[in-house]
Amino acid sequence: MGLWEAFLNWLRSLFFKQEMELSLIGLQNAGKTSLVNVVATGGYSEDMIPTVGFNMRKVTKGNVTIKLWDLGGQPRFRSMWERYCRAVSAIVYVVDAADPDNLSISKSELHDLLGKPSLNGIPLLVLGNKIDKPGALSKQALMDQMGLKSITDREVCCFMISCKNSTNIDSVIDWLVKHSKSKN
Amino acid sequence: MAQPFVKKDDDDEEAEYSPFLGIEKGAVLQEARVFNDPQLDPRRCSQVITKLLYLLNQGETFTKVEATEVFFAVTKLFQSRDIGLRRMVYLMIKELSPCADEVIIVTSSLMKDMNSKTDMYRANAIRVLCRITDGTLLTQIERYLKQAIVDKNPVVASAALVSGIHILQTNPEIVKRWSNEVQEAVQSRAALVQFHALALLHQIRQNDRLAVSKLVTSLTRGSVRSPLAQCLLIRYTSQVIHESASNSQTGERPFFDYLESCLRHKAEMVILEAARAITELNGVTSRELTPAITVLQLFLSSSKPVLRFAAIRTLNKVAMTHPMAVTNCNIDMESLISDQNRSIATLAITTLLKTGNESSVDRLMKQITNFMSDIADEFKIVVVEAIRSLCLKFPLKYRSLMNFLSNILREEGGFEYKKAIIDSIVILIRDIPEAKESGLLHLCEFIEDCEFTYLSTQILHFLGIEGPKTSDPSKYIRYIYNRVHLENATVRASAVSTMAKFGAKVESLKPRIFVLLRRCLLDSDDEVRDRATLYLNTLGGHGSEVETDENMNEFLFGSLEVPLVNLETSLKNYEPSDESFDINSVPKEIKSQPLAEKKAPGKKPATGLAAPPSGPATTVDAYERLLSSIAEFSSFGKLFKSSAPVELTEAGTEYTVNVVKHIFDRHVVFQYNCTNTIPEVLLENVAVIVDSSDAEEFSEVASKPLPSLPYDSPGQTFVAFEKPDGVTAIGKFSNILKFIVKEVDPSTGEAEEDGVEDEYQLEDLEVVAADYILKVGVSNFRNAWESMGADYERVDEYGLGPRENLTEAVNAVINLLGMQPCEGTEVVPSNSRSHSCLLSGVYIGNVKVLVRLSFGIDGQRDVAMKLAVRSEDESVSDAIHEIVASG
Repeated sequence: MGLWEAFLNWLRSLFFKQEMELSLIGLQNAGKTSLVNVVATGGYSEDMIPTVGFNMRKVTKGNVTIKLWDLGGQPRFRSMWERYCRAVSAIVYVVDAADPDNLSISKSELHDLLGKPSLNGIPLLVLGNKIDKPGALSKQALMDQMGLKSITDREVCCFMISCKNSTNIDSVIDWLVKHSKSKN
Repeated sequence: MAQPFVKKDDDDEEAEYSPFLGIEKGAVLQEARVFNDPQLDPRRCSQVITKLLYLLNQGETFTKVEATEVFFAVTKLFQSRDIGLRRMVYLMIKELSPCADEVIIVTSSLMKDMNSKTDMYRANAIRVLCRITDGTLLTQIERYLKQAIVDKNPVVASAALVSGIHILQTNPEIVKRWSNEVQEAVQSRAALVQFHALALLHQIRQNDRLAVSKLVTSLTRGSVRSPLAQCLLIRYTSQVIHESASNSQTGERPFFDYLESCLRHKAEMVILEAARAITELNGVTSRELTPAITVLQLFLSSSKPVLRFAAIRTLNKVAMTHPMAVTNCNIDMESLISDQNRSIATLAITTLLKTGNESSVDRLMKQITNFMSDIADEFKIVVVEAIRSLCLKFPLKYRSLMNFLSNILREEGGFEYKKAIIDSIVILIRDIPEAKESGLLHLCEFIEDCEFTYLSTQILHFLGIEGPKTSDPSKYIRYIYNRVHLENATVRASAVSTMAKFGAKVESLKPRIFVLLRRCLLDSDDEVRDRATLYLNTLGGHGSEVETDENMNEFLFGSLEVPLVNLETSLKNYEPSDESFDINSVPKEIKSQPLAEKKAPGKKPATGLAAPPSGPATTVDAYERLLSSIAEFSSFGKLFKSSAPVELTEAGTEYTVNVVKHIFDRHVVFQYNCTNTIPEVLLENVAVIVDSSDAEEFSEVASKPLPSLPYDSPGQTFVAFEKPDGVTAIGKFSNILKFIVKEVDPSTGEAEEDGVEDEYQLEDLEVVAADYILKVGVSNFRNAWESMGADYERVDEYGLGPRENLTEAVNAVINLLGMQPCEGTEVVPSNSRSHSCLLSGVYIGNVKVLVRLSFGIDGQRDVAMKLAVRSEDESVSDAIHEIVASG
């Protein structure tokens, strides 16, 4: 049975699109909605309004359809993040790398979230955004300050990106697409 | 062959049950997990939401955790593009409406939908968003809402307008900024948009009388096409008419032409609304009524039950005030008695009872008897009440009506129904002396087999008062004493009291009553034994010293001077000691006075068993107790009359004040009921400064200011005047409300130390001749007139000048005299050239007055009146003429 199932899945993957579900979180003004826009349409706008609640977007890359839950980052929404992270393929955590003052808050929010038992084992992708700005942290510094090393119970990956200049967006998409396959 | 098929169809319909019958909350909540599936099945999800909505509508409540869980699961469904499912999601969010800090999570999604290209998304997202939003967010989305109001799609525009109506309650200042857009929407071609826009526009302006009037003026010229909007407009129009009527008594009624033209509208709903509006006009004339009645008459024979019902219901209301106007429809209504719809039939019957003349009563009664067994108790009560008023109108018909009441009294029925019958019989006994004996016997028969303790005790009490006055009191004793054998303790106790009353009043029965009371001494219940012992002693049955007759009567029949509530608290506080309880120490002031007073105008004065036998309205009692509890006024003697409250301020002002005029023999007391409607303010030392320079015969003797008037708790201040004895002094008084304003801290509720003195101008107040006459009806005017005798009869003729019609003239004289019209003579048949009106009343000094008015109208609409007065006092007869001559 197991073999037959696997074979069917493989057949399906040839003909049908694969799906994955992501939740996009991080403090307010980290660039989550901008990232969605860049991934979906490639467009970038300086003038954004804060997300009140969440935005749901579906993006198709290759033969993978990605469902994106873009959640608001204001404190009043943080307690609700967990509800939209359950059972997703991966959690994408966006950090403003050019805003060192808020890093510690960002770190504690992330670690609080990952402590929830319902999110056990879900892969984590940390994105340091806004590297186009002067004074942005390096990848190593960001990983240190976010305490990513201490996360051992799941797969963790970190990229430095710039939504404004579309830097490294491709590798992010590659990573995501790869995870949709590895999941199946 | 057709018959069985039809039958089968019926059965099928009955067998059809809700697909959700018997579903359980727990199971449905389990099912709701499908919302979290990675591959959504929109159909399945919609079904689950339907089940959840069904549960909510059945009154099932979700715990906080359950509701939150469901809510967040539902929000995940925003990922689906299925239109049907999205609609269910909107509904679910609206119904669940979880707490504010959670529901905010859907804001962004809804805002996106609000600007979507799909009309359905836009409309529904607006509704949901406005339901869950707060003021700050509202300013952000205001721009979109304004756009939506003028949206091309009617569904979207309606959604925005209806949301506006809701938001107006919480954030009026925002919605008021949308006036221009709403005005544009009023001109929309879509019926529903026009309807909603008109409703919103009116709500925005509702506190501005002038603006509403302007709105009505401009729209009645005919740009409103939607029937629903037309109906609304008719309502607003009648409101405007109602408010403007007080300003211009004479001349044409504004907008009446518009209402009349609506009677010719295509849509039935508009016709009906217009007809209703016309019949509800203040002081509507028969000329104005005629076209409305005509269209209603057409509806009576309509094939649609709803039209028949609406028409008969409206006619029923008209019949209460203008029975003559409805008589034209009598034939149509009689055919409705056999209508399949019981509600229509009941209304037809009761209307006919009001409009019928004396000769048709018997025939109607026969029809009703056939029909009573088919209808529910609540309709039966309506019929009983109609019969009661009919009997009062035609006292000569009491026999057949009383028989009818006693017949239905014997049938099965609930408490409310039986109570209505008993009340009616009691009122008839009081008002129609001839009916007393037979009525009392009917009541006696009823208590022989009565399952309601309350009714039994009430009837026994009533028997005790009325029974001894009849020609043969002894025949009631049997019925009363039977109670002692057969009933529960409460009824037994009241039977003992009733017997005692017979014994006290009827000397010849005394020895026999003693025998019966002595038997009660062995009763198993304390209360019954106690009462028997008490009465035996007071009546002298134990051979002990007999109280004087006066004391005994006072004890048995007098009313308690102190409020029962106060007596109860005093008795509770009394501690047994050598000192005996002193009833004089019970406070006479009524604590709940403001509340009771507030309710009183809306409520009919309690009639029937609960009221004391002479039947003064309970409000008068309350006033009397209130006034006698104030030391300054206690020497004024007995209160003669209290007027209805007269408003001295307009509705919606900072302070609302109304005044009640209390008339005593030599004094007049104004009771100002003040209400402070500003939460941030406390008023102290509230008093009314009265300028009586236009009322020469009055001189101020006392005033009682109000120490403090907090927000929203009414208080009273009084001013008393002395006037010459026996003279109906009249005059005009101007009033200024004087007080000290103190600001109140809203957080602590404490007032500041320092206050500012301030004044508030109130409207003028008049004491008129009608204030000196009590409305007291007589059941048989002819008898009363004959028995009064012609000794002090005064007759004179007056010219009343040109009038619109006779009704207006009759009402003017009735209002001037303030007397009670008798036997329905205040109603003038339409187009009649002459009319007689009978009035009765009690003049100050407790002098009975009867007035006979004969009116005639000539071709130039000049009205002449002959006024004949009979009273027990010559000067009173003259005074009545003086009132009319000077009025």
